[in-house]
Amino acid sequence: MASITRCLRAARPAAFSAVARNSAPRTISARAFSVTASNAIKRYTKEHEWIDISADKKTGVLGISEYAAKQLGDIVYVELPEEGKEVKVGDAIGAVESVKSAADINAPVSCKITHINSFLEEKPGNINQVAEDDSHGGGWIAKVELTEQGLEDFEQMMDVAAYKEFTAAEEEH
Amino acid sequence: MALPPRLRAIPRHFSISPLQRHITHPSQSPSSLSSIPPTQQSQTRRFTQNLTHTLQIYRSASTDPYLNLSIEHHLLQRSHPDSTILFLYTNRPSIIIGRNQNPWLEVNLHALREGLPPQTSPPPPPHTTPTTNDAHPSPRTTTATVPVPIALVRRRSGGGTVFHDAGNTNYSVICPPAAFDRDRHAEMVVRALRGLGVGGARVNERHDIVVDVGDGGGGEGAGGTFKVSGSAYKLTRTRSLHHGTCLLGSENLGRVSRLLRSPAEGFVKARGVESVRSPIRNVGVGGEEFVDAVMGEFRKMYGDAAGQGVVVGEDEALANEEVVKGVRELVSPDWIFGQTPQFTFSTHPTEEDPRERPEVVHTLPYGFETHFSIRHGEIQSATMAGLEYHDFVDEASQDEILSKGLVKQRLHYITDWRRTLKQASPIPVDVDDAGEFLNHMFGIQPPAEKGGGAVAQAVVQTISDTVVGMFLDGDIMDL
Repeated sequence: MASITRCLRAARPAAFSAVARNSAPRTISARAFSVTASNAIKRYTKEHEWIDISADKKTGVLGISEYAAKQLGDIVYVELPEEGKEVKVGDAIGAVESVKSAADINAPVSCKITHINSFLEEKPGNINQVAEDDSHGGGWIAKVELTEQGLEDFEQMMDVAAYKEFTAAEEEH
Repeated sequence: MALPPRLRAIPRHFSISPLQRHITHPSQSPSSLSSIPPTQQSQTRRFTQNLTHTLQIYRSASTDPYLNLSIEHHLLQRSHPDSTILFLYTNRPSIIIGRNQNPWLEVNLHALREGLPPQTSPPPPPHTTPTTNDAHPSPRTTTATVPVPIALVRRRSGGGTVFHDAGNTNYSVICPPAAFDRDRHAEMVVRALRGLGVGGARVNERHDIVVDVGDGGGGEGAGGTFKVSGSAYKLTRTRSLHHGTCLLGSENLGRVSRLLRSPAEGFVKARGVESVRSPIRNVGVGGEEFVDAVMGEFRKMYGDAAGQGVVVGEDEALANEEVVKGVRELVSPDWIFGQTPQFTFSTHPTEEDPRERPEVVHTLPYGFETHFSIRHGEIQSATMAGLEYHDFVDEASQDEILSKGLVKQRLHYITDWRRTLKQASPIPVDVDDAGEFLNHMFGIQPPAEKGGGAVAQAVVQTISDTVVGMFLDGDIMDL
């Protein structure tokens, strides 16, 4: 997660600084998140969701991948998940609209939704800019608590390298 | 997120079973559908075989927009992940808004309530089976003197608002996400149209089908390009759906612009998706010709195994629990109105929405200002200022009390703003002008003014005397 985000920020300094300007408490939240990020483990589904779980494997942050965001095109609206809801792996938990397409966001693991990124309601385009950023102003969708089953689901997911290979193969087709 | 390219070939149980018991398979040419006998043993078996095929064509015998979209949704959710399906249907007059749109902004709800002028000879529903007709004589064919109701529908796919009627045929292709391409099936329909002599048809950069009409070589933009078909998409984990309209011979083209222009347009700032207006036109092709040509192009793309199209009757579809569940969702005011993304309504420029406001404000009491923030159709915050109270009071604090009384009101259930404002104020207040203005803005027609009351009620009234409405038997909503 961290490395990807760093690359992304380097690649899009203008976009990122625009976000930074608009979000006063950024330094605080960035520090808070970096604690999680340094120990986190990130995996992907074949349907292009990512989840980044904490070192104790009890909580996570999820979103849609940068690759998917690029494929979808300009995201104009995000229907966020419902806070407090318990979902099973593969359940539709929300949706994004881009270029006349409503696309489901599916739960990458069984989990309980604890927080949603309400900022995306105002700035859905943040997903296009920083899809895998879990800080304030980032494109993350929700924070979750993993269930026991959720941890097993997580084990089935692809790691960064496998996902990279997977999307590279997709692009060839 | 289903989008991208590679198909996940998960073997999955294919269950459209409740439909399969009932659906008939036409052995004749599709143009003689009205003479298809009711379900027969041999046909049932033939349809069952079809289910295992990776190619299927279905045609709806219903003209109900809620039912057709629910059949389509059922096919999207339950069809085999490897299959490619073409579904064709025509709806009775309806305004179909996109999943993330705002009906108060996209639709003239007053014009919607008026309906369309009565037709002396109603056009025959495109693919109606005799069974359906016998079981439920359509109220629309027997009431030639009352206006034709217009349904208001929020679909599950993205995109903007469109108008449907008997002169418009819809196509829908459901396929694996691997094959998802926003233009692929619009191009298929363009080939069908060209084959029917609509030479100028092409797919534009918005993935819609337009026709270029001879403009003396002035090129595009010289007033010669008209939209004839709009596209929208829905992507699930395992499937992708592209559906589109096609204006063949609508008699209501001249009425569409007014229907899709809201009086609140200049006052509403909405999240979500706003429609893009385009000049529209009929292609002048018959419904059956169009359907035959599209099926022909579909078979050219995917193979003759797709067959001639299986007709899904209204009764058969309504016998399917999942389809009915889908219909219940779609007719619910909490879906049609409550799914609306957050929006604000302000009579005067605000920081968030600094536009100059339209002139209609002159009907308001001098100094009246209001601002609402509305989420899921529910008022979250309200500010009213400048109302005239009958007692000597601190008007500002009375305004504040009244404004607080409006919070949590659901916009689509308000039957008369004059009443709502009066009830929100503990002391007598003059609300007639402000109330009438807000009624006008939000499509409300108080009972005294015919048609009556809340917009949710008006929409339900257009459903209740239809076949689907009768099937649901009054439990559409709990007003």
